[in-house]
Amino acid sequence: MKSLDVDVVVIGGGSTGAGVVRDVAMRGYKAVLVDRVDLAQGTSGRFHGLLHSGGRYVVSDPNSARECAEENEILTRIQASCIETTGGLFVTGPDDDPEFGDKFLKGASENGVPATEITVAEALRREPRLNPGMKRAVSVIDGSVDGWQLVWTAAQSAMEYGAKVLTYHKVTRIERDGDTVSAVICHDAKTGEEVRIGCHFILNCAGAWAGQIAAMAGCHDVEVVPGRGIMIAMNHRLVNTVVNRLIYPSDGDIIVPVHTVCVIGTTDVKAPDPDNLPIPRDEVQQMFDAGEVLIPGFRKARAVHAWSGARPLVKDSRVGAGDTRHMSRGMSVLDHSERDGLKGLLTISGGKLTTYRLMAEHIVNDMEEQLGTKHPCSTADEACPGGATDGTAHTYHVTHRLHDREQDRMHDQILCECELLSRRMFTDKLAELPSGSLDDLRRQLRLGMGPCQGGFCTMRAAGVAHEVGAVDTERATGLLRLFLKNRWLGLWPILYGDQVRQTALDNWIFSGTLDVEHLPEGAEVV
Amino acid sequence: MTDVIVIGSGLAGLVAAIRLGRAGKTVTLISKGLGGLQLSQGTVDVLGYAPDRVTDPVAASAKMPRSHPYSVLGADAVREGVTYLQDLLKEHLVGDPGRNVLLPTAVGALRPTCLVPPTMAAGIVTGGIRYALVGVRQLKDFYPELCAANLARQTAPDGGSISARAITLDLPAVPDMADSTALAYARAMDDPAYRQKVASLLKAQLTDGEVVGLPAILGYRDTTAHRHLEELLGHPVFEIPLPPPGVPGMRLNEALVGEAKKAGVRFVSGAKAVGVVTEGDRVVSVGQATAGRIRQYEAAAFVYAPGGFESGALSMDSYGTVTDTVFGLPLHGLGDNLVTADSPADQALFRVGVGVDPSMRVVDTAGHITYRNLYAAGGILAGAIRWTEKSGEGIALASAVTAADSILKGA
Repeated sequence: MKSLDVDVVVIGGGSTGAGVVRDVAMRGYKAVLVDRVDLAQGTSGRFHGLLHSGGRYVVSDPNSARECAEENEILTRIQASCIETTGGLFVTGPDDDPEFGDKFLKGASENGVPATEITVAEALRREPRLNPGMKRAVSVIDGSVDGWQLVWTAAQSAMEYGAKVLTYHKVTRIERDGDTVSAVICHDAKTGEEVRIGCHFILNCAGAWAGQIAAMAGCHDVEVVPGRGIMIAMNHRLVNTVVNRLIYPSDGDIIVPVHTVCVIGTTDVKAPDPDNLPIPRDEVQQMFDAGEVLIPGFRKARAVHAWSGARPLVKDSRVGAGDTRHMSRGMSVLDHSERDGLKGLLTISGGKLTTYRLMAEHIVNDMEEQLGTKHPCSTADEACPGGATDGTAHTYHVTHRLHDREQDRMHDQILCECELLSRRMFTDKLAELPSGSLDDLRRQLRLGMGPCQGGFCTMRAAGVAHEVGAVDTERATGLLRLFLKNRWLGLWPILYGDQVRQTALDNWIFSGTLDVEHLPEGAEVV
Repeated sequence: MTDVIVIGSGLAGLVAAIRLGRAGKTVTLISKGLGGLQLSQGTVDVLGYAPDRVTDPVAASAKMPRSHPYSVLGADAVREGVTYLQDLLKEHLVGDPGRNVLLPTAVGALRPTCLVPPTMAAGIVTGGIRYALVGVRQLKDFYPELCAANLARQTAPDGGSISARAITLDLPAVPDMADSTALAYARAMDDPAYRQKVASLLKAQLTDGEVVGLPAILGYRDTTAHRHLEELLGHPVFEIPLPPPGVPGMRLNEALVGEAKKAGVRFVSGAKAVGVVTEGDRVVSVGQATAGRIRQYEAAAFVYAPGGFESGALSMDSYGTVTDTVFGLPLHGLGDNLVTADSPADQALFRVGVGVDPSMRVVDTAGHITYRNLYAAGGILAGAIRWTEKSGEGIALASAVTAADSILKGA
């Protein structure tokens, strides 16, 4: 068994875990983050990509609204490269109550959320596809954010402070020494090895899976109720501004332009199992209907992919409903020393991606309170890679890659035309993630995320990985098949229109011309 | 007014038009695009899997389930269709309609097909074959290492071994370009001097007895490119089809369009057929959305060969409703769960299409003829998943020939 010793183990590589490990490392603790799969592969990579201005919450949850407004400004500086400052609009649909707009403007001004009412004509000038029958429009500073990059750059910042990030390390056991945690035992899925991480403190940031982790430490009945929501990506940016419906938060009320696509979301349905999140037909239809209200003709546009994410909401049977201390700020922190008599374990759940940094600050403060130590939090005052504290770093712009390809098109190849991904970008990332799957690479490079959904780039990606010696033949073949299989999981629930035509072409390529299904199977399962 | 309107310029449409034109009918072929053949791999697939690998595709076509187009067409029509194309394009296709061969694909699978272009024939797998697979650094759609290693993991159908190794050339199609398409390479290969250059880089790397495989780039217009390269290298050479656009498919298309023009077929392309005028149980004319207006084309008979979902002839909207976008014909194979989480290639949706009687007249789901002078052929037909079966060209040819003959017989 491999073994290492640290001060703090952070379990869960979503935005909360990444923010926490960064904060812990910056405060001088020796820390390690473990995740059973890749970073941001769970909830943090399965949302619509909205960086809240706070507008969404000014009426329903003013506290969150204020926090979002502040954090939006901070993240846009310190993680500039992950964020596109698209701006946002809240619009009243033809059948929506226009009076909600008054509550909205009042809430915005009370909570420091910049918001300006503009004329319908001005809104249509900015976004010509919007419903011309809308009654009111308010301009806000919503943005879009790449969840994978947000998490990775936070993790990189943590690593610069000496933290270790261990992906594909599944926690199998938590050991205790008397009434204190003493070690986390992981299974390294890539090598098959057991890894023992000795520690004094564990921060359980496993989100929808937090109940399972707490149970491993003998802390039972931490009931996590995952709230499942579906999202659908359309094949291009029908809007270049985040568009929200100016109503009380509801299903399908947001369209977010992010990278080359725009995403409509979302629903909220209790899901019993965070590892099994369906994309039901009726919810897909509900999204299309909601899309029609904001953008007439939405159903005629082309949907390229759908996914389902699980918001983690903790319902703790042992905390009374009146215990607001543990339920504030949209997140909950369970102190297991009070609850279960086990020192050195906090379970965190809830919260939202936009405020992940602030949540981490609170959590680490709680940890230090229990440890009897105190260090200042400096996560807002230092930039992650791709950011700058003084606001001088460039935010993301959708044409960045086009600009880059215009520079290197004569001496490099484009592996993925939909996303303008060069061979060099692919091989560089492959060198960083030698045991990565094509999906691991996709999350960081957007490989196969455009309209053809891997039709042309999948064979190239497998071929290049094999050619440079990163994978052997069986693995290259297995990775190719697995990538196509995984793309289909998000395609079939929304297959219609031109995407059917694309799928038929892709079938002609992989089945008709390449006969991929009759390649010999490999000995190992990829 | 012409005798026959053919809708669609893929393999089915072209072959039906040629057969009718050669028999003395006046034929107008109307099409939206340039024809699906240009996206194809350039082989004639008749039946490769049913679901096990098939050795005699004509014989196997007689044993397909009742819902399959081959069951309506019959094995004789399959043989007749394939033979007709082979006679038409003598220089372009070799093989025996009653025997499948296996060709390496670009990822190194062994793919069954029936007739193959002469440029691919040397690659047919036999026991003991030694492949030297040649990639070009500047061509991103072929990875010879992966292809060779996958081939070497398999055995030939006779049980003999397959050996394969990779060679990579550094040779731009256009000076200083790192990223060129297969078509750019095929155009470069039309120049004998470029072939000399390829041969000079390659020859010294080959060993005796090796069969040389290259991506399908051996000339776009110059049909002597393949033979010339073989002479220069002193080795048998074969082409491996790449993802579309497919140069071998483009060559077939070129040849067939030439034959159609010789047969007097008139082409009206670049605009979609958009509906029909009917009178009782007959189609009177087909409209085509030309610039500014819809132009009606009248004919005594119509061959409907627009392709399936891939061409956009069949479409499913966001409510899951599947329609034939030109005529709104009744569709066969509809039902619940047309799309599921199973393999994308094997979805019930792709079996949906138009039903026909043995003369290829379009029938509704009860088997009644919809229009007495409307015949369907090719990918629009219900009941086949052509990419997994490797049956696309066989269905197109058998149905095109049958539809044409029905019109000629005055059915």
